[in-house]
Amino acid sequence: MSKKSMLRSAKGRNDHPDNGRRAFLKNGLVAGGAAALGAAAAGAAQAAGENVILQKQDWRTYLGDGVDARPYGTPSAHEAHVIRRNVEWLTADPVSSVSFTPLHELDGIITPNGVCFERHHGGIAEIDPTAHRLMIHGLVDTPLVFTLEDLKRFPRENKVYFLECAANSGMEWRGAQLNGVQFTHGMIHNVMYTGIKLRHVLEEAGIKPNGKWLLVEGGDASAMTRSIPIEKALNDCMIAFKMNGEALRPEQGYPMRLVVPGWEGNMWIKWLRRIEVGDQPWHQREETSKYTDLMPDGRARRFSWQMDVKSVITSPSPQAPVTHGKGRTVISGLAWSGAGKISRVDVSVDGGRNWRSARIDGPSLSRSVHRFYLDIDWNGEPLYLQSRAMDEYRNVQPTKDALRAVRGVNSIYHNNGIQTWYVAKDGVTENVEVS
Amino acid sequence: MLKYLKSVALGALVCSAFSAAGFAQGDVDKGKKVFNKCKACHMVGDKAKNKSGPELNELFGRAAGSKDGFKYSKAMLAKGEDGLVWNEETLNAFLTKPKAFVKGTKMSFAGIKKQKDMDNLLAYLGTFSTAEVQAPVAEQDDVSDDANAPAVTTQTNVAASAAEVPEHGVFHLGRVATDDEIAAWDFDVRPDGMGLPNGRGTVADGEEVFVEKCASCHGDFGEGVGRWPVLAGGQNSLQNERPVKTIGSYWPYLSTVYDYVQRAMPFGEAASLTDDETYAITAYLLYLNDIVDDEEFELSKENFLTVEMPNTANFYADDREDEPQYSVSADPCMNECKVGPVEITKRAQVLDVTPDQE
Repeated sequence: MSKKSMLRSAKGRNDHPDNGRRAFLKNGLVAGGAAALGAAAAGAAQAAGENVILQKQDWRTYLGDGVDARPYGTPSAHEAHVIRRNVEWLTADPVSSVSFTPLHELDGIITPNGVCFERHHGGIAEIDPTAHRLMIHGLVDTPLVFTLEDLKRFPRENKVYFLECAANSGMEWRGAQLNGVQFTHGMIHNVMYTGIKLRHVLEEAGIKPNGKWLLVEGGDASAMTRSIPIEKALNDCMIAFKMNGEALRPEQGYPMRLVVPGWEGNMWIKWLRRIEVGDQPWHQREETSKYTDLMPDGRARRFSWQMDVKSVITSPSPQAPVTHGKGRTVISGLAWSGAGKISRVDVSVDGGRNWRSARIDGPSLSRSVHRFYLDIDWNGEPLYLQSRAMDEYRNVQPTKDALRAVRGVNSIYHNNGIQTWYVAKDGVTENVEVS
Repeated sequence: MLKYLKSVALGALVCSAFSAAGFAQGDVDKGKKVFNKCKACHMVGDKAKNKSGPELNELFGRAAGSKDGFKYSKAMLAKGEDGLVWNEETLNAFLTKPKAFVKGTKMSFAGIKKQKDMDNLLAYLGTFSTAEVQAPVAEQDDVSDDANAPAVTTQTNVAASAAEVPEHGVFHLGRVATDDEIAAWDFDVRPDGMGLPNGRGTVADGEEVFVEKCASCHGDFGEGVGRWPVLAGGQNSLQNERPVKTIGSYWPYLSTVYDYVQRAMPFGEAASLTDDETYAITAYLLYLNDIVDDEEFELSKENFLTVEMPNTANFYADDREDEPQYSVSADPCMNECKVGPVEITKRAQVLDVTPDQE
């Protein structure tokens, strides 16, 4: 009975706040209340308290799985709702689509590998690493071919970076649309990469003086391509083969992907197999038809590579409502900037009228997400939650209206506007825009 | 050693005999271009040294496998010991099919297919060999260059003595890509026409292929089925409330169409179209977008760059930095930043498009 009700309460959080609270009431307070009521009548035999304490749980009695039962561990069955989700109506086919990171269920700064959002254009390439090669050619002294084992012989480095799709929050240009931070902001993940400097590989082949651009290409069924200026390539790009200590997941480009710190996710070519050096950009589909920003005058920005300063409150949020009633409440969120470190995050509970600086906790790394908290005493009145990030170069996250004033609503990409969550008296939280 | 000297001398004779007739057939300038195929591994001329292939100065008359400081395959060394000397005849045979002529050679090169290319290449290489009569004079001229030679040779010796370690780069990792390998993967096309293959296709040809292979998603006329991309129409819609971004209304370069179609289409059967089919589909897409109006229009490598895309001029470099919200340098407002009570102006709940969580 107790095991079953625990399941219900865990599931309830994912359901509707009332359900969660109801389950909790049933489990604890009702039992306690009943005990309190019955105490006088039934006498000393009736114990007072929560059943989860008063009654012995199965797991306290019976043996669990041995070490050989789970050679590769997975999360608790009670966390089964913490998964990537997709929005079916967004794209024509799930093979060329996107799944979103469950930001509302995560904490700290590292995204677990299994829930990092995915974006593929030709499905997940399942590559045998021994049959994978990386070729570099074009304006180089010596065109070269590398195996994964070759690449692992270059000096390695470990870096934590966020990867954000340029279209993250792109469905919100015309107004609040999707009820969940997973869907409004979930095209981002943040992991530690192990890999090598792209610079080493380029220098190994020898870039000719007129080599100014790279074409980078994936080995999947879309043969994804982007042009990257040589300055960026030589500055801080990496070829990564590990994420969070283990091999890249197939959906993240196993056995190797490009890392382009601070720049839009589409450029981080997965399943990287070819680098061509040239004297001008290639103007591939993903840098002309897509990933260009249409402005109200009918013209379009191109090469808008860097991701802007941005933040969002991950809890409370529509999928993570307040279930505990008024009193101590932890407001928690993420902030990041493609320019560098986050220097400050301000939080408003009144729709941007007044702000308080939040506490950044955990590592503060350049072009990595930062975790912030604001610990408040909630008086039970409605909250209009907003967060506003500022980076070390004093770029301040703008309002959605400020962005619309310049860009209109048809530019799809680079929406870093301030998000508002409305927390009603009952704790139910909704995606809104406010005056 | 004697044998070696002898063969050099003999080679020089043989070579000079050939040079009169043989090299005259080839064009040195064109040969220089053919040599681009070899440059990844071989150097020739001033400051030439051994790379992953031996340097090729004084190639004519050289005994096979005899270049100091280069680690040859056993097969090549054996050939040299058997008396193989490089001259126009032997090089012709070797470079036509290297692996057939010297079974076991390290040289990973498929071979030169056209005799004209061969003649031109040999003419070009001949200019770096002193097979001519003025051999002593040339040696005099080379004295200054030779002064550098020992250092270079020592260097290559060091690298060569480290067994299989390649000489390129800093870390000496990876191996040289062959021309065939590069050709197999390098099919990208750029706006300036770089990468366009030979081929051609008409609007009418394109319609046939498009209806068979593309229309199930994109519609017979590029109008798009369901949420699949719309490829045609939308002209003058970019300032509308709902812009329609198509190849005709939005895409700045025709090369992108060609490149993408042969790169990723048809969806689920990527890279299966022939070059002619790709030209034909591209021509048909131009027709659907009213950029060409003649069904007989044939798109080819030759006329590709003459096609003008309507929206080319309307793209400009990222200028977000200049937007007002990023150009303020003051700290953001902290108190009483807005007047009036908070009112909800938009809510996601109304749309009800969020996926279910179960």
